[in-house]
Amino acid sequence: MAAAAAAVGPAVRRSLGQRRPLPCGAGRGSGLRGRWPLPAGGVSLRPCSTRATLEGINKPVIDRIIRVDHAGEYGANRIYAGQMAVLGRSSLGPIIQQMWNQEKDHLKKFNELMVAYRVRPTVLLPFWNVAGFVLGAGSALLGKKGAMACTVAIEESISDHYNSQIRTLMEEDPEKYKELLQIIKQFRDDEREHHDIGLEHDAEMAPAYSVLKTAIQLGCKAAIFLSERI
Amino acid sequence: MAAAGSLRRAGWRLWRGRAVVRCQLYSPQRALQASAVLRRVSDEQKEPLASSFQQQFDSHPTDHQPEQKPHGPRPSYTGQGGQESEDYESEEQLQHRILTAALEFVPEHGWTAEAIAEGAKTLGLSVAAAGMFHSDGSELILHFVSQCNTKLSELLEQEQKLVQLGKAEKKSTDQFLRDAVEARLRMLIPYIEKWPQALSILLLPHNIPSSLNLLTSMIDDIWQYAGDQSTDFNWYTRRAVLTGIYNTTELVMMQDSSPDFEDTWRFLENRVADAMNMSDTANQVQSTGEAVVQGLMGAAVTVSNAEISRAVRAKLFLFPSVVNVSMFFLPNLEDSMEKNCLS
Repeated sequence: MAAAAAAVGPAVRRSLGQRRPLPCGAGRGSGLRGRWPLPAGGVSLRPCSTRATLEGINKPVIDRIIRVDHAGEYGANRIYAGQMAVLGRSSLGPIIQQMWNQEKDHLKKFNELMVAYRVRPTVLLPFWNVAGFVLGAGSALLGKKGAMACTVAIEESISDHYNSQIRTLMEEDPEKYKELLQIIKQFRDDEREHHDIGLEHDAEMAPAYSVLKTAIQLGCKAAIFLSERI
Repeated sequence: MAAAGSLRRAGWRLWRGRAVVRCQLYSPQRALQASAVLRRVSDEQKEPLASSFQQQFDSHPTDHQPEQKPHGPRPSYTGQGGQESEDYESEEQLQHRILTAALEFVPEHGWTAEAIAEGAKTLGLSVAAAGMFHSDGSELILHFVSQCNTKLSELLEQEQKLVQLGKAEKKSTDQFLRDAVEARLRMLIPYIEKWPQALSILLLPHNIPSSLNLLTSMIDDIWQYAGDQSTDFNWYTRRAVLTGIYNTTELVMMQDSSPDFEDTWRFLENRVADAMNMSDTANQVQSTGEAVVQGLMGAAVTVSNAEISRAVRAKLFLFPSVVNVSMFFLPNLEDSMEKNCLS
């Protein structure tokens, strides 16, 4: 029964056109919940420009991708802000500032995408605001190498995460998501660059490097998991 | 011949749809009712039923699992409105037609299975077609709400087009919200007598996911057209506030007996104004807070400079710094006072 509902669910949801797909996961389409948002006829009623990007895309998947990426860039922004607050006047200042500027650009881009695809932001944003700053400032207080170790850990997590998103989108439909794929690929390359900069600046010489790195990456995984859903 | 084939497909679709969407306990009942519906439909078409019917039932014992592919094409849950040919429709469309027809009987019978049965009768179907739906009238209400939301979206879309073409003025946010909520609530007026019943049915546990979904999508639509582009926590605050406004205004409307619901619209105006004031005040608090923080940091820097340097140099620096620090406060105070005078 559940399997049947699950089989019908995606089909029903796709036919809903763009009339507010359900916020539930892909396996849970019950008949009643699936039916109501559909206007009689199933034709999209929104030919305006923002809607144009929404025709025929897999809304739940795109929703998650944009939401978690937006949360990630927001968090990264705050982490660099924290690091700058402590190390801004040191020799690392300009480098961190430069990486921070790139993250700001990323965040701006995701803000635009969020409005275009009508994605809701994660509820946890205020929390990532504080947690990011604390992580950045905390790692910077461990010294310059500590800050670089934090950068390396985060950027590695993020680029792995972007890679899996690229894989997902490629599996879905590379043509339909060309623009989004391009953006994510670009950002993934930027994050990899940050990761390499971190390594160049002796991140591995930081105190308790492996422990720090594992802990931060675990935190990242949890953050990604939560932001995708909440 | 083609009609018989299409009847068979329609019947299969109805049957399969039922088995998939409803609990399988209902299946034997549905088969009877589905066949009753079919009978009525086929009476209109003047086709002999027996052969197609037999075939339909023959296919069931072997094809009882709903997941299996049917002999014919799959149910038309396609994006093209589900219409694959002119002479038959998907189950969903049939249900839409029945529910739409049932709406005119709501003022008399309420949101019940009777209204649905009457609606089915006007379409020439048997009264048993109402058995396709829940007995508490939930689907009728959800259908109605969904229809109203669609109409609201279309209305807002048209208004937006007019503004884009320069034929209409762009409304201020509070005016826009007021008009949108009023337009949506006015759609309830024909059914206002029975609407409290509908509200209570929508609050039943099995309806809450759907009704919540419809409510949130409507509120999101209104904000979307109002031009909301927030990507931070404001996204939630705004929607929560508008949901509160909408729900309370709806409740006031239930109790309102003034001519053309004037009291309701005045209540709405006041609530929207309150919300706007709240956001203004929040902004003021934030900017004043930021000014205070800046002032404190400036004072801290100044004091630390004064301690390091000699007393004479301190005297020379302190005075401009103190003036500097107080400059942080004054502009914001002026602004806040202006805003308070204007509002």
